[in-house]
Amino acid sequence: MIATTLILLLVLMALAIPVAASMGVLGLLLEKIYSQLPLQRAMGEVAWSASNEFLLVSVPLFILLGEILLRAGFAERMYGALIKWVSWLPGGLMHSNIAACALFAATSGSSVATAATVGTVALPQAKRFGYNERIFLGTLAAGGTLGILIPPSINMIIYAVLTNTSVPKLYLAGIIPGIVLTLMFMLTILLLCAWRPAWGGKRVLATWSERTASLAHLIPPLGIFLVVVGSIYAGIATPTEAASLGVVASLGLAQWAGRLNFAMLREAIEGTMRSTAMVMLIVLAAYFLNFVISSIGLTTALTGFIEGLGWSPAAMLLAVVIFYVILGCFMETLSMMITTIPIIAPVMFKLGFDPIWFGIMIILLVETALVTPPVGLNLFVVQNLRKSGSLNDVIIGSIPFVIALFVMLLVLSLFPQLALWLPSLAS
Amino acid sequence: MPPKPALVAALETGLKAADWLSLRAVWGGGTMIFIAAIIVSVDVIARKILGISLGGADELSGYAFAIGTTWALAFTLLRRANVRVDALYQHLPNQVCALLDLLALVALGTFATLLARYGFEVAAESFTRNSMSNTQLKTPLWVPQGMWFLGLALFVVTLGLMLLRGVAALVLGDWASIRALFSARTIEEDAQEEAAYALANKEIPKV
Repeated sequence: MIATTLILLLVLMALAIPVAASMGVLGLLLEKIYSQLPLQRAMGEVAWSASNEFLLVSVPLFILLGEILLRAGFAERMYGALIKWVSWLPGGLMHSNIAACALFAATSGSSVATAATVGTVALPQAKRFGYNERIFLGTLAAGGTLGILIPPSINMIIYAVLTNTSVPKLYLAGIIPGIVLTLMFMLTILLLCAWRPAWGGKRVLATWSERTASLAHLIPPLGIFLVVVGSIYAGIATPTEAASLGVVASLGLAQWAGRLNFAMLREAIEGTMRSTAMVMLIVLAAYFLNFVISSIGLTTALTGFIEGLGWSPAAMLLAVVIFYVILGCFMETLSMMITTIPIIAPVMFKLGFDPIWFGIMIILLVETALVTPPVGLNLFVVQNLRKSGSLNDVIIGSIPFVIALFVMLLVLSLFPQLALWLPSLAS
Repeated sequence: MPPKPALVAALETGLKAADWLSLRAVWGGGTMIFIAAIIVSVDVIARKILGISLGGADELSGYAFAIGTTWALAFTLLRRANVRVDALYQHLPNQVCALLDLLALVALGTFATLLARYGFEVAAESFTRNSMSNTQLKTPLWVPQGMWFLGLALFVVTLGLMLLRGVAALVLGDWASIRALFSARTIEEDAQEEAAYALANKEIPKV
């Protein structure tokens, strides 16, 4: 049963059948082969209940928030302010790229939006200051991935829905690893510049009065962060309500910057709805497939099979990491999460891994997937922002940061407390 | 070029109509979600500051989400935004890809048709049993479920039109039309779009 399912799924996917259809059709085929009952009749109920699951409502809201923030025009001033604070370091503006990504990540739940927004304002500076262009591009592609690790995070919501874990706990768990990874990215730049000083380009020095004056430009992103993430921990709002508040706050911000107009809203809504429908069709198919899989006893068979392997938890974890690194090279990341987590996560939980900690590991693996070729979306986004040169520049420039991500995975495996300490304080 | 057969012309008109309708459906559904966000925000603020709850904001936003999602399915399809794994596909010759595009439409069609059929049953059953939501609002469930089903129906009709157009193109040996209809989006296209949005709002900071 396990082999048949796996082969069917691989064949469907390899034939480039849309992921949602692959999962739906796989569910139908499994029903035909293994079930006496007409499982497909439950499809309507399963789909309707998934369709108005309140936590999932936050997904389009977070996408919309990102779409509005991208157009709200505060990134330029935020970037300018961060330059004054961190660009005295060897590597100059490359540090402000990472810092700006981390700060923007605290308002946005998407890695692609983070790389696109910060990339737009940063790229025109690369040549002016004589940085190594490849590393500069790498800081943007890799820095952008912080978008889903530092809360809010769309991917964490999807993980929470798929595994019945708490979004507030996941958000808390992402904060320290997010800060550590930000520092590791900056350390990577420092190490590269120590090794090849010429790559570091010109540093930018600022006086303390300039620095203090620039702090005003950090208020908009911090304000959005407080509204969206702060409201959850102040006990004011659920994640979905927080996302709603974020949308309203971002509208206010766009209005204040004189960027709010009908055309901009229409564009933001079209983009939001397209991404939402794309993800939700996969979610609906996945709910149906999971219903079939558990009805025919495949989940139990799979858990039994994996336990029968007798692998130690550490070996199993290593296998999962390798699996996601490879899969992440070929698959869009949300589809990858929705197709695999319902199967893999229960097995890992049974082996004794903490669901919150495992969630952060998954997010780190998704971040890695976003900057590994051939299907690393962030690489392509950065390449498209600069519109010249070869994609290989971005790929090569990202390699040091992919290594940093691997180190981060190792660190988090050895010190799970990095993720679990803040949530443990809350409960 | 020889004149288009009447059937092909009719199908193209149908697809144009579906495109027109799907765009309106996206605006409608998106507006619903947008308004839901505002209502939920007002509800949160009213609850915390004034200590009163409007009640039902959560429920309504759930319906807006369900309806908005299915109403956007046809648009997503017409923009070829359904995720496909192209690791093998991108290395295959044009005509094989065209056949896989048709197969993709058939697979999506199979799943979507069943989804719409059983989705209809959910709404129809709520109607005949007069089911109401177990909340203050006592929403007659067939209303949101019926609107949710309409989105699924538009999705299935659009899929049907695309499939017929694709089969017609296959009969005529018009491979290019099949590819134009439903070739897998390359990651390049996705990235270009993201970049275009960002660049459109560019304003270079002074350093």
